[in-house]
Amino acid sequence: MLSLNTLIAASLGYALLLFTIAFWAERRAQAGHIGWLRSPFVYTLSISVYCTGWTFYGAVGSAARNGFEFVTIYLGPTLVFIGWWWLLRKLLRIGRAQRITSIADLISSRYGKSTTLAVLVTLLAVIGSTPYIALQLQSITLSFSVFEGGGNANVTAFWVAAGLAVFTIFFGTRNVDANERHHGVVTAIAVEAIVKLVALLSVGVFVVWGIGGGPAEIFAKAPPEMLRGDSIFSARWVSLTMLSAMAIITLPRMFQVIVVENADEKHLATASWAFPGYLLLMSLFVLPIAIAGNALMPEGSNPDLYVLSLPLSQGQENLALLAFLGGFSSATSMVIIAAIALSTMVSNHIIMPLWLRFAPQRPETSGDVRTILLRSRRLSIAGILLLGYLYFRLTGGSAALASIGLIAFAGMAQIIPSLLGGLFWRGANRMGALLGLLSGFILWAYTLFLPSFEGGFILSQSAIEHGPFGLSFLTPNALFGLTGYDPLVHSLFWSMALNITLFILGSLLTTPRPLERIQSSQFVDVFRLDKSTGSYLVSRSATAEDLFTLAQRILGADPAQRLFTEMARQQGKAQGLPDATDKLVQTLERELAGSVGAASAHAMVSQIAGGGTVSVDELMKIADETAQILEYSQQLENQSHRLELAMQDLRAANAQLTEMGAQKDAFLSQVSHELRTPMTSIRSFSEILQDSNNLDLPDAKRFLGIIQDESVRLTRLLDEILDLSHLESGRGQLLLEPVVLQDVIEKSLNATGALLEEANVQVLNALPEAPVMVFANFDRLAQVFINLISNTVKYGRGESPKLAIAVKLSPRSAAVTVIDNGPGIAPADSKRVFEKFTRLSEATLAGSAGLGLPISREIMRNLHGDLTLKPSRHGAVFEVRIPLA
Amino acid sequence: MNNPDLATNAAHERKLRDGAILLPVFGAFLLVSPLITVFSGITTVFGLPLIFVYVFGVWLGLVLIARAMARRLDKG
Repeated sequence: MLSLNTLIAASLGYALLLFTIAFWAERRAQAGHIGWLRSPFVYTLSISVYCTGWTFYGAVGSAARNGFEFVTIYLGPTLVFIGWWWLLRKLLRIGRAQRITSIADLISSRYGKSTTLAVLVTLLAVIGSTPYIALQLQSITLSFSVFEGGGNANVTAFWVAAGLAVFTIFFGTRNVDANERHHGVVTAIAVEAIVKLVALLSVGVFVVWGIGGGPAEIFAKAPPEMLRGDSIFSARWVSLTMLSAMAIITLPRMFQVIVVENADEKHLATASWAFPGYLLLMSLFVLPIAIAGNALMPEGSNPDLYVLSLPLSQGQENLALLAFLGGFSSATSMVIIAAIALSTMVSNHIIMPLWLRFAPQRPETSGDVRTILLRSRRLSIAGILLLGYLYFRLTGGSAALASIGLIAFAGMAQIIPSLLGGLFWRGANRMGALLGLLSGFILWAYTLFLPSFEGGFILSQSAIEHGPFGLSFLTPNALFGLTGYDPLVHSLFWSMALNITLFILGSLLTTPRPLERIQSSQFVDVFRLDKSTGSYLVSRSATAEDLFTLAQRILGADPAQRLFTEMARQQGKAQGLPDATDKLVQTLERELAGSVGAASAHAMVSQIAGGGTVSVDELMKIADETAQILEYSQQLENQSHRLELAMQDLRAANAQLTEMGAQKDAFLSQVSHELRTPMTSIRSFSEILQDSNNLDLPDAKRFLGIIQDESVRLTRLLDEILDLSHLESGRGQLLLEPVVLQDVIEKSLNATGALLEEANVQVLNALPEAPVMVFANFDRLAQVFINLISNTVKYGRGESPKLAIAVKLSPRSAAVTVIDNGPGIAPADSKRVFEKFTRLSEATLAGSAGLGLPISREIMRNLHGDLTLKPSRHGAVFEVRIPLA
Repeated sequence: MNNPDLATNAAHERKLRDGAILLPVFGAFLLVSPLITVFSGITTVFGLPLIFVYVFGVWLGLVLIARAMARRLDKG
């Protein structure tokens, strides 16, 4: 017989081997040689953590007791895995996109990052898993007890728990990021998976061909009721299959290996058939072993231990040792993964929130959080294993523990409605999930979990049998009088019915919060989201770079630079980006609010800072779009403004053109009119001269004189028009030189002397004595004065006509005023006098038109001076301004 | 698949995906339905009980079909 010492040595040696493998894998991964460490087969083998000590030993026990039923525990997961395309693929994609760390995180994340839900699921996972861990400890101690000596069960359990705690802490908490792969652990688990498969197959082969004489012989020994299938299809068959199908997704350790530890989505394709294949091999020899055990082992042997006791009874010590190691592997791998999964949940959803709430100060650097996270995970692992050990101590050996596996399945299955609803139903919301989960768990605890203690915990024995306080309709195993069903089926029926009903009703009757809506589409439409970006999601902490990039996108490069430099300076940093403190976040939010509105800014910044769900890429896209829209609208605004200005200009130009066109028309008609008058008289007189043969010479001479006068007038008119157009076009460069103003005026008066005398105009000349030198063209300036003087003579006649010429000097120019005492010019006409051929009101200018004043003004402008009409009460006052030399 | 016809390929892929979704339904029909009682008599096949052969046979069949499908789906 194997001695206890040999067993302990084998266990320790095996444990040491696992440590070495895990350590080696971890080192390899660190060095970057990941290679086959993350191959699809390692992934598949790690999923085999589903087969725990309970299944390794218990499946045979179950088969020995209930026949074919054991197979349902493997059929459920098989159906889920061959349907991977439908459910697991989506779960994996979401787990990756949302950086999900546990089943509690998944539920909480789906329903708007609800802390309540996370805490609820975590508590339930701990409640469901603790007995399960105790069960593993029990299976190990039981396996020890088969061998001689056996040792003290409690001591064995304690050292196993302690050893597992050390292993898990050592390899399970190397990284803060719960989302990173634990290469060491996974590799060790994969090795254990191979060991347990080889062990069970070896025992099976030995039983069937070594002692049984072939499969037909073995099955011939089976008691007929074991394989009689009349009752094989029952509510329990369906329930167990469904239960195991749900458990493969919701059990914390299964979620950990399938979703969290998954390195590549493609591995799932391999696992989809390889894992069912593994399960097939694991269960292939269960029935033969059970039959052989029943036939060969003495009455009263524990069927749960046939795997061990059969080889031992045949003297196959090495095979028994292998089977022992297989069972040891099954139990330890489950405990390790469950401890990692549960510690992540407990520390992330219970310890950290509490710490953050009650911590004396907010963590300013990530180092603090890191230390605390690692510490809380390690403490959680130790705590969970301690809890499992205590549970084992308190209930150890009782039959209650044996059934805990399925009870734990049923407990975790309560998550399924919220999980599936969350993955496929957009309308599922937090309230529905909360109500469904809570009601499901309460009913599960009342109808299945508490009764499993057989009166030892909360519910008394009488309450279990007859209902609490004698209320028979509340009997846990026959709720509302529903009797005649297996307790598991009964519990599953009530809990699931209420769970699903309240989940749906709660979702339909309440309105989800905005974050829930965002998350619901992130989950339900995960395959519709852009694949190519492979969007990396902001995890739980803000980085200054992210905030800075966001700020740059929205505020523009320079303002963002200024803002962040200023913030860094305030934080006492000489250079580089500031730390992502709350103040920075607030300031940034305020700044951004100016660009995108307060609500959007809050959403964006809190998404980055507060652990949001929208990826940085997506935020950048929003920011880019906003920036583009802003820029575009600004451009549009500018353009429309410019267009309006242009329109105004065009309108003004159009008005001017219309006016000018009208002026031109008027001018042309005036010109033709003016030209026509002399032409008409020339024509008529020349016709008279031509037609009349008996014309007197004096008459003829007079007629010729008229013709000549008119021709002169016509020529002068044409000269004036030419002169004006010449001056207006600015082509005629006048020769400018210093001239004496008095000389010019004198010459003009002389030239018009005859005219003045004829009209009897009295000239009042008040010129200064000293010669005034002006910069002008002598002849042109004289032309202006002659024009003004002759105008006065023509139009400005008063009772006794007077003409006054005065010179006023200013520092730069001289102003010569020519004043008459005529009727003056009406204010309404004051502008029009300078227009060509203007006929002013009859009273002012006697029906004549002329080019004199327009030409004079053009001349003055060409001389860099001006000619203006000054307002006055009596007579016309013209002012000629000339620059001084 | 060397068929250059994209429409045919797309239709083929769609059928494959539909098949992948239907496979577990098919499996459930074979294993978790009253159908199973049909095979639960005392008949034996090569000395093995019929129910044993049926369940493990279907199981193996599902694994093989899933394998074939997974290989094709994985390519796409």
